[in-house]
Amino acid sequence: MAQIFHPGADTRLRLAMVALGGGLVLLFVAGDRFFGSDWFTGRGDHPAQPVPFSHQHHVAGLGIDCRYCHDQVERTATAGYPPTYTCMSCHSQIWTGAPVLAPVRASLAHDEPIRWQKVYDLPDFVYFDHAIHLKGGVGCSTCHGRVDRMPITAQAAPLTMGWCLSCHRDPAPHLRDPADLFAMDWQPGPDQRQKGEARMARLGIEPARLQNCYTCHR
Amino acid sequence: MTGRPEREIAALRAQLQGERGPRLWRSLEEIAESPAFARVLGAEFGGFALPEAGRRDVLRAMAASILLAGLPGCGKGPPDAVLPRVADPADDPPPDRPRQYATAVTFEGFARPVLATTYAGRPVKLEGNPDHPASRGATDAFTQAAVLELYDPDRSQSPTLLGKESGWDQAVQAMVTARRDWLRNGGEGVRLLVEPTTSPTFRRQIEALRQQLPQLRLHAFEPVGKERREAAARLAFGRPLALRYALEHAAVVVSLEDDLLGPGPAQVDHALGWSARRRGGHDAGAEAIRLHVAESTPTLTGAMADTRRIVPSARIPALVAVLAAALGRDGAPAAPELSADERGFVSSWASELRAHRGEALLAVGAHQPPEVQALALRVNAQLGQLGRTLLASEPVVWPGAEAAGTLQELVADMAAGRVQALVVLGANPAYTAPGDLDFTAALQKVPWRLHAGLHRDETAGFCHWHLPLAHPLESWSDARTVDGTATILQPTVRPLFGGRSVHEVVALLAGDPWARDREIVRATWRDRLDDDAWRAALRQGFVPGTAAAPVGDLAPSPAPIGLPPAGGDRGLEVVIRPDPSIWDGRFANCAWLQELPKPLTKLTWDNVLLVSPALAAERGLATGDVARITLGDRELRGPVWVQPGQAAHTVTAHLGYGRKRIGRVGQGIGYDAYAFRASTKPWLGTGAEIAATGDRHELATTQPHHRMDEYRPVRLVAPGKALEARPEEENQASLYPDWDYPEIAWAMVIDLDLCIGCNACVLACQAENNVPSVGKHEIGMGREMHWLRVDAYHDGDPLDPSFYFQPVPCMHCEKAPCEVGCPVNAAVHTPDGLNAQVYNRCVGTRTCSSYCPYKVRRFNWFEYAKPAEPIVAAHYNPEVTVRARGVMEKCTYCIQRIARARIDAALEDRPLKGSDVITACAAVCPTTAIRFGDRNDGASEVARAQKSPRHYGLLEELGVRPRTTYLARIADQGEKGEG
Amino acid sequence: MAAASPPRQRRIYRLPEGHEFRTVTEQVAAIPLHYPQRLRWWLGFIGSSLLLGLLIVSAAYLFSEGIGVWGNTIPVNWGIAISNTVWFIGIGHAGTFISALLLLTQQHWRNSLNRFAEAMTLLAATCAASYPLFHLGRPFFFYWVVPYPNTMALWPQFRSPLVWDFFAFATYITVSLIFWYIGLVPDLAAVRDRATRRLPQVLFGIFALGWRGSAVHWERWRRAYLLVAVVALPLVVSVHSGVSLLFAVGQIPGWHTTVFPPYFVLGAVFSGFAVVIMIAITLRHAFRLYDLVTRRHLELLGLWLLATGWMTAYGYLADAFMAWYSGDSFERGTLLDRLAGPFWPIYWGAVICNFVPLQALWFPRPRRSSFVLFVIAFLVTVGMWFERYMLVISGLFRDFLPSSWGGYVPTFWDWGIFFGLIGFFLFFFFLFVRFLPAVSMFEIKEAVWEEEHDT
Repeated sequence: MAQIFHPGADTRLRLAMVALGGGLVLLFVAGDRFFGSDWFTGRGDHPAQPVPFSHQHHVAGLGIDCRYCHDQVERTATAGYPPTYTCMSCHSQIWTGAPVLAPVRASLAHDEPIRWQKVYDLPDFVYFDHAIHLKGGVGCSTCHGRVDRMPITAQAAPLTMGWCLSCHRDPAPHLRDPADLFAMDWQPGPDQRQKGEARMARLGIEPARLQNCYTCHR
Repeated sequence: MTGRPEREIAALRAQLQGERGPRLWRSLEEIAESPAFARVLGAEFGGFALPEAGRRDVLRAMAASILLAGLPGCGKGPPDAVLPRVADPADDPPPDRPRQYATAVTFEGFARPVLATTYAGRPVKLEGNPDHPASRGATDAFTQAAVLELYDPDRSQSPTLLGKESGWDQAVQAMVTARRDWLRNGGEGVRLLVEPTTSPTFRRQIEALRQQLPQLRLHAFEPVGKERREAAARLAFGRPLALRYALEHAAVVVSLEDDLLGPGPAQVDHALGWSARRRGGHDAGAEAIRLHVAESTPTLTGAMADTRRIVPSARIPALVAVLAAALGRDGAPAAPELSADERGFVSSWASELRAHRGEALLAVGAHQPPEVQALALRVNAQLGQLGRTLLASEPVVWPGAEAAGTLQELVADMAAGRVQALVVLGANPAYTAPGDLDFTAALQKVPWRLHAGLHRDETAGFCHWHLPLAHPLESWSDARTVDGTATILQPTVRPLFGGRSVHEVVALLAGDPWARDREIVRATWRDRLDDDAWRAALRQGFVPGTAAAPVGDLAPSPAPIGLPPAGGDRGLEVVIRPDPSIWDGRFANCAWLQELPKPLTKLTWDNVLLVSPALAAERGLATGDVARITLGDRELRGPVWVQPGQAAHTVTAHLGYGRKRIGRVGQGIGYDAYAFRASTKPWLGTGAEIAATGDRHELATTQPHHRMDEYRPVRLVAPGKALEARPEEENQASLYPDWDYPEIAWAMVIDLDLCIGCNACVLACQAENNVPSVGKHEIGMGREMHWLRVDAYHDGDPLDPSFYFQPVPCMHCEKAPCEVGCPVNAAVHTPDGLNAQVYNRCVGTRTCSSYCPYKVRRFNWFEYAKPAEPIVAAHYNPEVTVRARGVMEKCTYCIQRIARARIDAALEDRPLKGSDVITACAAVCPTTAIRFGDRNDGASEVARAQKSPRHYGLLEELGVRPRTTYLARIADQGEKGEG
Repeated sequence: MAAASPPRQRRIYRLPEGHEFRTVTEQVAAIPLHYPQRLRWWLGFIGSSLLLGLLIVSAAYLFSEGIGVWGNTIPVNWGIAISNTVWFIGIGHAGTFISALLLLTQQHWRNSLNRFAEAMTLLAATCAASYPLFHLGRPFFFYWVVPYPNTMALWPQFRSPLVWDFFAFATYITVSLIFWYIGLVPDLAAVRDRATRRLPQVLFGIFALGWRGSAVHWERWRRAYLLVAVVALPLVVSVHSGVSLLFAVGQIPGWHTTVFPPYFVLGAVFSGFAVVIMIAITLRHAFRLYDLVTRRHLELLGLWLLATGWMTAYGYLADAFMAWYSGDSFERGTLLDRLAGPFWPIYWGAVICNFVPLQALWFPRPRRSSFVLFVIAFLVTVGMWFERYMLVISGLFRDFLPSSWGGYVPTFWDWGIFFGLIGFFLFFFFLFVRFLPAVSMFEIKEAVWEEEHDT
């Protein structure tokens, strides 16, 4: 009787099997890449804001200190968004007629808050505290990146739990002197590890506790 | 989290005010969509772990079907909007930091001084005011529930005319016209029905109103109240007095049906005094307080008594008479015949009282006939207790009998058509009036009726006008604690539902619709407090030196006091008591209190008829059978509960249930005992009959089994003895290495000798930790969510058992089975010794709970945390995650407080101390039975308690090394003690 | 091989002299190719499809509403979801036992049984594995139990028996699948060669992996088969020991005992054999395979059932004895609750169904009667279900503190999932019987050959 398969069938079968096995591995790797990808973590996202506020201009250009607007950052969990009042403390004098600032003036006029879009939006079961991070020596740019180079503010870090833990498990490389906290261009020096560890010792920072779940989750 | 929710809530309020009738709720949904509201509810709560929208959900769905490598637990939802404030925030505190206001909530007119913790303008938790002499940081359960009461969406939302939505403007209009007629004849036929209050401002306003309307008559009615005690004071001393027990000075207390430690306006006061004395007794030498109780139905006082005797309520007068005869010198009526047993303990108590002149106390229940109480007061006076254990002062509550008529008189006048207009302020007589008065029928005869209250309740339904009152946490007012100290109530939030404070309503009656409560209250105190003193009073939460003036040199009126005729002793006696969880029904719509297990039965969501095991056997009744009680022509149907320790032929019925009109939570459950109540004998009915109807009623209890078996969770020691360790109690070896706690090791010690089972800790925990209530059905299945439960056991002869309480939070074991069981590291041990539960990591295998020997873990079988109405979510504590469906949760030792304290300490460059943190349960405990602190700090109370000879751990023999431990109950019934 | 086979074993197969081999092939291959019992098959298949539908509905409702739709409570966190997991995986045991252990011990009579026994194993194990997923509070996060590199930088908690069980189940199912498939290959080829229509030819052809029956093929096949058998052997013990540790690790009275692993394993084999017997008898009569699944087979199975039954009974006794001997009041309390507590019918149901009818198997006649054997096997299956229920629920409902005692009543949705999964099992078993050689042809031939040259 006639052959069911032609001679090449076996080879194809073998190839197919190899492909199947390889495919599984590939899927695994691809998945890992995907969930670390910027698209998924939102790194680089820059939601549209009611006012095209440029940190680059205000920080690099005018040299305004972070705390001029984010005035609670050293006291409380949230850095705090500036009230319209703060914007107007300058813009009642300069650019008073600029159309881009219309929403700001409207906000003051109608006592209506400006509706900024959150750039760094952590899950609600994460309890992040700005003040304690500054106290420990983690500077702004460590998580927020070179804000002074951002015409439009974007998310500079993946904000995945792994990313948080990478520092909580070994803070030393990231801890600065209080003087440098708000320096945008801070770079770790060669002796950073010693300095960092010294700081940890001085403040009693123990990774054992930092990486405990209840440090961030309650 | 920067913005001004105060203003947003105000805006929301404005929208709500615009709404009328059924549209209201729909529109609330719409508002819930509005960003402003989303912000108040969403962004404000740090905590929502309920499933987030966006990409994550899609991926979750995928995940459920196929295993995706590398899928993280949390991705990124759409960004939230943030609304910074417009004005300069310099004057405000950081919005994500709590702010505390010293104020008070009221209960039966008395102030409960509190510190209201608010987040961005939302009160979320009430702490007792530690500086206040009558609180010292403690509160009762009712006070803890006030927050939920505030956000109750069933509260009255706007004035109504004939049940239809109306507005304040129309209401004001109507008042103005009504006043015109009143003024014509000086208020002839105008009646005012109020609840007795302690508010000086209220009193001032009403007296001013009477100036305008001399003919206006005032009536006062409190369904539970203390009017019989006031009458007794008048009988005994010939003048109105405020009487108060100072248990801290008492060595011997004989209580005849006086539930000193039970719920009520004086509970905290008594608990503080009793525990101070009792705790003193723990140290060698000092003499403890001895408590002897005779009662017909078990109470918390009876449970904590050194000797408890079971007598019918109707026998109390006789016992008092005999005691009086034995102790008093003059004016005692002829002592009636006693049984041998009664004679036995009465005489021994009499001699004990005599032996402790000056620090003895004879307390008789406020529900007993005035003559009986008067007799007891006189005995105390003759023993020289006045000014020592029995403090008499000028009246604190107003109006008393001389200032106001009774409800009976009002009903008589209404029935006779002598009432042209009736204004009901706060009270709810249509529900609470004794059945035989037939209040509602009489009410219909009144041509003009107005009711003001928190809810559109039964009375509102029978009135033309109803005005919504603002909650104490929403309004300015003033009130006095039992000792008379005045507190200025300040609002912690603007009225959520557009209610007005009672003072504004009275001002409205007085023809001043524009007066605002702040000015009204300020005016009361202007001559007494200058602006600085006023601010100081607001800051510290009370006005110093306002305690009621003590009345010295009281001469007991020599007039002989005759006892009321004893009711016939045939048939059963029915005693009526306020419900321990929802009191007289005012709290019926508060889910927390409905679900609060009643101290001895652990029953929720129902009231029952308590019968003794003997009677149950005699009449073939079992718990859950629906029985019918007949007394004369009155009858009462309700489910039976067989209660050990109940007097053989006494049936106890509880008030507060069977409400027809209050809200979705509280109406239509339980039976209405008011309808059964007789105005002449409101507390006791004799000659009743009980019979099974054949029906059954499902009862939901959190603890089906109350008997201690051979294993005794609650351990006893004879006074002065040490607890001998169980043989197995040396720590067993463990496969796992021991933890070391270099810095702080948190621990909790609970003194079972001080715990009175009052449940304050349970509700404090619920309020602090966003613990949801789950409803009767879920409770019935055994799915209650309370992180902290108070186990109630009884032991010994079921006819006359001893009662024990045992609060059981998480034990935070050092060798925790839950940590071994959890496959995903959601139950983990922390460096300071806690078993942390990581909700967002939990997948819900429930292994931890299966392995937990104490079964203290709670599981979110459904989306319990999702509020019925968006506004209810406003009570959630933003510092605590709100748990999603399918997640395990449990006591965390208030980890949010620990975290906050740790961060604050670090910011202030100081090491964290154990004393920096106190858990919600420990803070609220009126007897300081719960102690929390750092075990490593030898000086801490916890460390010292752990060295006590009464110290033991629950189920120690399992080797799990619990760090919540107990101090044994001291019981001098030798045979019952283990020692 | 022949040399190693046990001496003077009684003959099992009685096939027409001369063409034994053809008869075997014809009888078996006939089933997938031109199917004999169409009507009965369709009835059974539709029935099981309905049950499968119930599973889908119940699961959908469960996932949309939450675990609350079940009867679980605190303290009974684990209801029949877990007890059924144990029950199913137990049934799954007989497959590997028969395939691997009996293969390596040269019990040739196994050759008529291993094919469908393994199919049963696969399906039962799948049901068992799916149950924990249904029972999770947040099933969409089930993969957190698996160690894999992730952006949370977290591992599972390896001390937890659940993690062990995940590995045990995964390994067990994989190995069983491979073993089953390897065994199938030669028969698939045989069916392929008998197929006349194109489609079956191609399909069977593909899965036969180009088997031509050359000596090389046979030599390699044999090596692979034995190799996997050796790998599978420890699983017979490991899987159910792992499951038993899920309980024994917890300190709950009635769980916290060292007898659990053997107790569970033996019980598992016991229940497994019971189900194998039911299937064997059904197939035997449905397809008249009287020559291939002979009375002798039934007799041997009966003996196995009796033996494992008594070993399980020993487990009961040891459990009770330890409860008494330990002197631990909680252990004793749990024992008394089982004997006379609210769940007494469960305990005594287990004891009676498992051990009383079993005793009939001491005698040869009931052993040979397929009807009696079937009834006994069925009762044992039910009895073992009772036992699992008893172990899980009556351990939990009253543990230590009287205050936290509770009860448990399964709801409709509990049962929905359970019977739905039974439907799932039957559904795929029907498909297996319909489309694959349900009995291993070549292995029977081998056995027959060896028998003849043995006598």
